[in-house]
Amino acid sequence: MKKSPPGFRDLSRDWPPDEVTRLLARVTRPGRYAGGEFNTRVKAGARPRVVLSYPDVYEIGVSNPALQILYSQINDATPAFAERAYCPWPDMADLMRTAGVPLWTLETFAPVSTCDLWGFTLPHELCYTNVLEMLDLAGVPLHAAERDGEDPIVLGGGPAVANPWPLAPFFDAFFIGEVEDQLGAIIAAMEQDGREGRLQALAAVPGVWVPGRSAGPAQRQVFMGFSASQPVLRPVVPVLEAVHDRVVVEVMRGCTAGCRFCQAGMWYRPVRERPVDLVVEAADRLLDETGCDEVSLLSLSSCDYGPVAEALTRIRTLRPGLRVSLPSLRIDSAAQSLSGFAADQRGSITLAPEAGTQELRDTINKGVDERQFDEAVRATFKGGFTGLKLYFMIGLPGEADDDVLGIARMAGHATRLAKEIGKGRARVSVAVSSYVPKAHTPFELEPFAGEQALRRRQQLVRQAAPRGVRVAFHDVAASVVEATLARGGPGTDRLVEEAWRHGARFDGWSEHFDVRRWEEAAKATGIGLGEPRVARASWLDAVDARLSAGFFADELGRSRDGELTEDCRDGACSACGVCAGDIQMDLVT
Amino acid sequence: MTWWLITFSRRGPARYLSHLDTARVVQRTFARAGVPIALSQGMRPKPRVSLPLPLPVGAAGEQELAVVEVPEGVEATTAVLKALRDASPPGFAPEEIADAGERHPRPQARAAEYACVLDGDAGAIAASVERYNDAEDAIRERVSPKGTRRLDLKDYAGDVVATPVEGGARVGFTIHHRSDGAARPQELIDLVAEWAQVEPVMRGLERLHITWE
Repeated sequence: MKKSPPGFRDLSRDWPPDEVTRLLARVTRPGRYAGGEFNTRVKAGARPRVVLSYPDVYEIGVSNPALQILYSQINDATPAFAERAYCPWPDMADLMRTAGVPLWTLETFAPVSTCDLWGFTLPHELCYTNVLEMLDLAGVPLHAAERDGEDPIVLGGGPAVANPWPLAPFFDAFFIGEVEDQLGAIIAAMEQDGREGRLQALAAVPGVWVPGRSAGPAQRQVFMGFSASQPVLRPVVPVLEAVHDRVVVEVMRGCTAGCRFCQAGMWYRPVRERPVDLVVEAADRLLDETGCDEVSLLSLSSCDYGPVAEALTRIRTLRPGLRVSLPSLRIDSAAQSLSGFAADQRGSITLAPEAGTQELRDTINKGVDERQFDEAVRATFKGGFTGLKLYFMIGLPGEADDDVLGIARMAGHATRLAKEIGKGRARVSVAVSSYVPKAHTPFELEPFAGEQALRRRQQLVRQAAPRGVRVAFHDVAASVVEATLARGGPGTDRLVEEAWRHGARFDGWSEHFDVRRWEEAAKATGIGLGEPRVARASWLDAVDARLSAGFFADELGRSRDGELTEDCRDGACSACGVCAGDIQMDLVT
Repeated sequence: MTWWLITFSRRGPARYLSHLDTARVVQRTFARAGVPIALSQGMRPKPRVSLPLPLPVGAAGEQELAVVEVPEGVEATTAVLKALRDASPPGFAPEEIADAGERHPRPQARAAEYACVLDGDAGAIAASVERYNDAEDAIRERVSPKGTRRLDLKDYAGDVVATPVEGGARVGFTIHHRSDGAARPQELIDLVAEWAQVEPVMRGLERLHITWE
């Protein structure tokens, strides 16, 4: 066993140690820190020891499908032992610091700092300060350059590493893309002697980018074995109430709808689908394994999964009364998809027109027309759903006031249909978030709308919204921080660290986000908020997303001309650059 | 339909489950073991599971009780008990199944014995316990959204003993459940801790025994 970090007690002796039980007696929801879920694995004595983390509170992190994949694969298909740790809520963090108790793992209560490899999945920019909080609570030096042979190798992955610069100095390495094919090589690298040996071996793994060491960008890895592979069949099932209380079958990876604002739609190309037999069998086994009573067919756009209707029918036949959910409904196919829901599931659904006018929807390649919207809303209320939430963005490139007012017009149209068809029982609500341009998208170099413009457009929506429609807005100040980090170049890490030192944590939570901490950090570092150092060259230095610059230029031109680009699933190839050699679309035929 | 009384223990990580979490764990455990639970009637049928005496978050329990209705023909065999044990999460262990027949059992607790550790001066804690035992009454106010209620802890909590342990004292006590309700373990410990001038944090709370009517 490696040393405990200086100033911290050794938690590895007893289970559960008294140091931990003393803290658990004093915090809200102590079960967040106690483990004990269904299907947890403990591989006593196995090496290397890996800790997997999601930098948010337990209830959010435990449901994350990426972490479930890693946990299953490492524990079940490699010699290594994977444990988990999530970000302690501030009440627990304060107590841990006062008592000198370092961050522990849920499986064995061992200090996280004693593992060989600490992997973070990084979902979005507003969790970056939580990464620093977890490193600090674990007693692991914040900066990779300050770590020694006793410290774990800290590896980052997930969609936010599309631009790793804001976190670069805090990580020893980043994995770019889908890790399944390279997990074995990463684990093998941890068996090398010494920190230097491990880092050298890690740097040689395809998809790994080591700041300051890698000679060029890491190429995004694509798991082409996805279609033939089994979904996670023994997921960890929380015993506390988590945000998602259901089993998940990932039916498809990637999306080629081509929405020009969508980073995930670009990042996870090409589309790969799992055969329907495999999906149905997995759903059946998962329900046995977990005891859950709801299954979600997961993907970026599950209505596009070729055999979605067959999958729904067969799962329902196998398990009558089971609740099946499709997490992302498309408006152009909503009428058909809604009929697949069981009668007792018809509560509330979300449709995402994204923009208020046809022109702007064409600009972003959403391609939904007013007739399709009308049909989808009618189908919603005719189908017995009593709640409809419409999701929009403001601050999109080329947006004018009339586009923003179009949000209110669409909400008004839906409200009239709710009254007409829903007979007074149906309600419409609207959620409006602020668009933040992201790296590796056709809009990656477009300007961020800025705080003033976003606040004015929010006010426009608020004033024009029909009576009786509840409108919720995303916090503009949080979007400003997100925009600053999303395209920040080298040096942006100083802003993250300074904000954390000023107390920023859980920035994705409205009750914890405090823009003053970020303003103080901006003052101290000279990095202006909302003025991202848009440096395409810098993120291309680190990440080769396999997307061609020519494709982005074409898409930007088409966007400005209001031209749509077909989904290459059924239409012409858009020459995005991803499909080459073994990497091709893999659809169920 | 048949009702089962399941005796189970809740230790280790499972002690941090809430009442609703524990009920969900019972349902999940049955589903994983392939043992069906009867469903309620109505638009949204719910599994027929109840826990007659909630256990506080953080407390271990040795003889907890779950009341579960199962469909006709499902028998409470040792094989079923083993399947439930195998399907349980760490720290949660079904110990016994009693078939209560077709009539819905509604067990009422008469008394429950607890023990916990209070950190601090063991002598002061022992003196506080002695003061409680000698007191004629111990009036406390219970504040809730419904209002404020005065209750005499002496009517509901007795047999209080303190034994020195490393760093503090182990406090044992009995809570009596009456027709007008019961005291909460935390209410007694708050008073003992206040008099002993120690932090009112119940570490390692255990419910050792329940007497049912």
